[in-house]
Amino acid sequence: MNDGSVLRLNNVSVALRRGRGDMVPLLDQICLTVNQGEMTALVGESGSGKTLTSSAIIRLLPRNARVSGQIWLGNTDLLRLPHGEMRKIRGRDIGMVFQNPLAALNPSVRVGAQIREAYRLHTGESDHAAWVRACELFDEVGIANAKKRLGDYPHQFSGGMRQRAMIAMALACSPKLLIADEPTSGLDAILTRQILSLLTRLRHEFRMGVLFITHDLSIVQKYADQVHVLYAGRSVEWGSSEAFFNAPRHPYSRALLGALPGPGQIRLTAISGALPDPEAMPLGCRFAPRCAYHKAECDWCYPKIDNKGTTSVACGRVEDIVSVHPPKGMPSPQYFRSANDGAVILKIEGLGVDYRLPARGILTALTGGKNSIRVLDDIDLTLRYGECLGIVGESGSGKSTLGRAILQMVPYDGSVIVDGIAFGRMTRSRRKMMRRRIQVVFQDPRESLNPRMRIGDIVAEPLRLAGEREYREQVRRLLDRVGLHARILDKFPHAISGGQAQRVAIARALAAKPAVIVLDEPTSSLDVSTQAALLNLLKDLGHQDGLSYILISHDVAAISYIADTIAVLRSGRLIEVGATAALLAVPGAEYTRQLLAASFLYGKKGTVQLAVAPNSGSMGIPS
Amino acid sequence: MSGTTTPSFRPIGGRVRRAIFSGVAESLGERGTLTAGTVLATLVVSFCLLGPIFCRASPYAIHVGDAYYPPSSQFFLGTDQIGRDELARLIAGGYTTLAVSIPAAILAFIVGTVFGFSAGLGPIWLDKVLMRVLDAVLALPALILLIFFASLLTPSSFQLILLLGLTSWPGLARLVRNEAIAQRGRDFVHASRQCGGGTFHIAWTHLLPVIAPVLVFNGTFLVGDQILALSALSFLGLGIQPPEASWGGLLQAGLNLVVVDPWWMIVPAGVMIFLSIAATNLIGQGILTRSEEAV
Amino acid sequence: MIRMILTRLISSFFTLTILITIVFFMAHATPGGPAFSILGQKATPQAVEQLNQKLGLTASLWRQYVMWFWHLLHGQLGYSYLLNRPVRQLVGDCMVNTLALYASAMLFSVTLAIAIGLIQGITWGRWPANLIRLLELCFYAMPTFFVGTLMILYLSVKWRIFPTGGISSVRISDPGLLDYMRHLVLPVVTVALLGTASLSYYFGASVHEELGKDYVRTALAKGLTFRAVLFRHVLRNALRPLVTMVGLAFPYIFAGSVMVETVFNYPGLGYLLWRSALSQDYPVISAIVLLIGCLTVLGNLFADIVNGLLDPRERYE
Repeated sequence: MNDGSVLRLNNVSVALRRGRGDMVPLLDQICLTVNQGEMTALVGESGSGKTLTSSAIIRLLPRNARVSGQIWLGNTDLLRLPHGEMRKIRGRDIGMVFQNPLAALNPSVRVGAQIREAYRLHTGESDHAAWVRACELFDEVGIANAKKRLGDYPHQFSGGMRQRAMIAMALACSPKLLIADEPTSGLDAILTRQILSLLTRLRHEFRMGVLFITHDLSIVQKYADQVHVLYAGRSVEWGSSEAFFNAPRHPYSRALLGALPGPGQIRLTAISGALPDPEAMPLGCRFAPRCAYHKAECDWCYPKIDNKGTTSVACGRVEDIVSVHPPKGMPSPQYFRSANDGAVILKIEGLGVDYRLPARGILTALTGGKNSIRVLDDIDLTLRYGECLGIVGESGSGKSTLGRAILQMVPYDGSVIVDGIAFGRMTRSRRKMMRRRIQVVFQDPRESLNPRMRIGDIVAEPLRLAGEREYREQVRRLLDRVGLHARILDKFPHAISGGQAQRVAIARALAAKPAVIVLDEPTSSLDVSTQAALLNLLKDLGHQDGLSYILISHDVAAISYIADTIAVLRSGRLIEVGATAALLAVPGAEYTRQLLAASFLYGKKGTVQLAVAPNSGSMGIPS
Repeated sequence: MSGTTTPSFRPIGGRVRRAIFSGVAESLGERGTLTAGTVLATLVVSFCLLGPIFCRASPYAIHVGDAYYPPSSQFFLGTDQIGRDELARLIAGGYTTLAVSIPAAILAFIVGTVFGFSAGLGPIWLDKVLMRVLDAVLALPALILLIFFASLLTPSSFQLILLLGLTSWPGLARLVRNEAIAQRGRDFVHASRQCGGGTFHIAWTHLLPVIAPVLVFNGTFLVGDQILALSALSFLGLGIQPPEASWGGLLQAGLNLVVVDPWWMIVPAGVMIFLSIAATNLIGQGILTRSEEAV
Repeated sequence: MIRMILTRLISSFFTLTILITIVFFMAHATPGGPAFSILGQKATPQAVEQLNQKLGLTASLWRQYVMWFWHLLHGQLGYSYLLNRPVRQLVGDCMVNTLALYASAMLFSVTLAIAIGLIQGITWGRWPANLIRLLELCFYAMPTFFVGTLMILYLSVKWRIFPTGGISSVRISDPGLLDYMRHLVLPVVTVALLGTASLSYYFGASVHEELGKDYVRTALAKGLTFRAVLFRHVLRNALRPLVTMVGLAFPYIFAGSVMVETVFNYPGLGYLLWRSALSQDYPVISAIVLLIGCLTVLGNLFADIVNGLLDPRERYE
């Protein structure tokens, strides 16, 4: 049994009973190993069963779940343990780090107390000993001024610090295994790298196995030893990280890697279709309906496991596929754009935004105190016809506010000039007409569509507001342009997927015949494969129809895929503006360099060689 | 204070009710709630409207010789202290109660919705002024306000409708206002404004359909509220005046004679009030759950 | 925190001023004015004139308003027309009784609500919670005055366990505390039933909601027992909305207790309000209405402050 593995899952299956219906199998025969001192990355899109796997390991599944198989932690099968024994394992032998640490920490208990609680529970030590231990742990995870910060509440920590505190809590009893469930989603690229470096250092130091659960392949490569890809509750490919990234073998893995945007990349591979419905899983290979190499036998044959190659793959046709050249996306008609000689369509001059602090009211007025902060200062930008301007920055950099100022949603000073006319004093109807020239696509596809309107009416709204009578045919054409079938005309937003909803939002924006479309994080709530399809669509629309975009995102990789110019924003100021290729090759500012270093998949074909900043693992931004 | 500070005065009635009845909807199932509510409401309303066809006795005819009869085959629900038929009085009382409560609820609904939308979508100064007024009115429970006003004038049925209608709208108004403010900050409203949608267009095509379930839910509850308030007022002798029958008045008459143990003068009237309130609440919740499921 | 309290106090002051104004003008703009209600509708004009002079009602409405406000600020609430006693004294006597009733009812219902709500929150979606919910629904839709009347009918008249009303027995020469408490039982239980029905559901729902939050999973993953998670982590967060509810529920439960005091002839503020309303004794009515307004505003303020103290996120802002 003892072969250096800390955790071994052997044919673990989980089924859930929904309502009064039958058991729905969600995880099917997962076999997975985490070795001592190593990191295994469990990768999958939403709905693939990653989090369910972690819940099954610590046995915190919902009441209506049934588990089978074996989960070996060292020499004990966790699934056979009585409840009391299992409780002792949790926190002592297995540490957990969850996504969204603000919710995962109790908001009304001091962080120190939450860490001490974990330690005292399993060691029975005194409160003072626990406090000393907590101080040690804070030093270990790189939180400065440990003694003081232990007495703070979770909301007083910044996002990255909170996750460090969470890790400190999980390490309290020096567990053999650390399960990190999406610990970095919601953190920006630089913080993500820091957390991952920290985890790497800690696992070497404590000889601890780490099961790292994530949806983001791009952050796995450098840090994981093993990769395990899940699709719709089944393992599709697993093996060493190096082998996997060098030569992914399963069609799904290949598609997934092809869907990750990078600079200079001609076309992303989009995976057509959607995740199968758990209540009606395909009989054979679950990826079959979306697979590019699909054959009839895939539909009914349980995929054969092939572990003869560099990685193990659950696909019967691996041998055939490897010989076939990987599917290439269609190169877009004109990838290389003529230089920026188009007319200037949007110009921003000296734009600044003050954010007024709320709820100070009467008293501030009486005392005459200053009640606003400057969130954007002195922004100058130019957008030419047919160009895509990418604005990149971490959360809180003011990039969304910039978008809102351009859209005239917030008051600002300075000027926004569209088609040579500045917004300013003008009649109401003129202003309305001007605003129509700038359209918007928001981040959350659900929020941006009225839940009580049919898709057809949503897309038709700008047309009707413009007084057009015969809009039916136009709506159909618009939907066709964004790659949607006219079937969804009569559906309500809740009945379509996130990717479709985002396309509807784009169609609505197009309906107003805008000069500029502001895209505010349009892909960040979507899965990798859906994101790729949407980015492709945006690129095509830009190239074919000469649309001008402003693309706001925290994701440098996505931006560099379609933007012609990139502007880097930090703390409300422009750090750097430059043509994409030039900026990626020779970043001017130190901050840009860090951001770039943290953002790309290493060694991906076609990637511009990047200057990698020294990675300071324990560097933290004090809150 | 953070930006999420709660306003200083909130009507809690709606919140608790919504919480309680959403629970019922969960256990009965969305269909069950609506069906149970509708059946109950139909029973109550047809009892009040069609009752006189089956019960021929007059609710006002006095037969001193027949006083204090317990329920029997001759008097299904017995008689009161001056020999009036209790069943007839229960039916007549129900009719009066509904005839006042329902128009009052409609009045309150209209006033509350208009007030709420004006505050939520109008200019900021208007919102501030309207909310100040609302705070002042909400500082008093509706029943206290009602007692205060009812003591100023001995109200007729028409005045009662006005009185009930004009004291019970603030809760709904605040709800509509808060809801309008919450919804108008959503992305689809921004998108519509970007396409040139004006305030009226946004209120009509975007806000109203989204708020509608909450409106219907609270509108239905208003009916229950009015029945309760009117019965309470009549019970206190400040609402519908004897000899006209009302459920509250019947209860009061029963309580005054409680020493002679006339349970038939107390229980039926109370049960009717209970049933009609439960019916409206169930219907409201049923509609809300159904429209939430639909989206 | 202090800033919040100050802002809130200022806005409460505005609210109360508006309220005072409404009450004053409503009471003085009635047809006939108070003189008619004292002397009856058939009073001679001379008698009315005389009385108006005596009550200071001949001055202009604005002057009266200013005077009234001035008196209010000095705590002078005027004289009862009918009982000819200072309103302050009358209201004060009744207030003690109401507070006793209200405080014990709240204590009772909050304790009960926490116990019931915990069971409901833990067993959410299964039969114990469903049963509790059904009971809560029944009591919620039940008018207080009906419940009170039923109690008198069965517990007092039929089974003679408790007295029918009032606060002291006539037959006992020296009514002690025990006798007072015996009279208090039925009104307290009636008010408490109303309060418990809404509070317990609300608390149950927030326990259920808190149990579904991520920090509960974290605590369980640390190896804590469910009981420890419940009492050390969940309860603290679930109690917070309950505090708000208790503060906000005040006027509603008070309105309910008006009905209860009337049913049980319990000499509290609600009973006094009822008697004065029937006989149109405006000084008393106005005073009580204003008092309830003040208490409501204070109840809201109290809820906000306690909430601020309980929630570190607000405390440190």
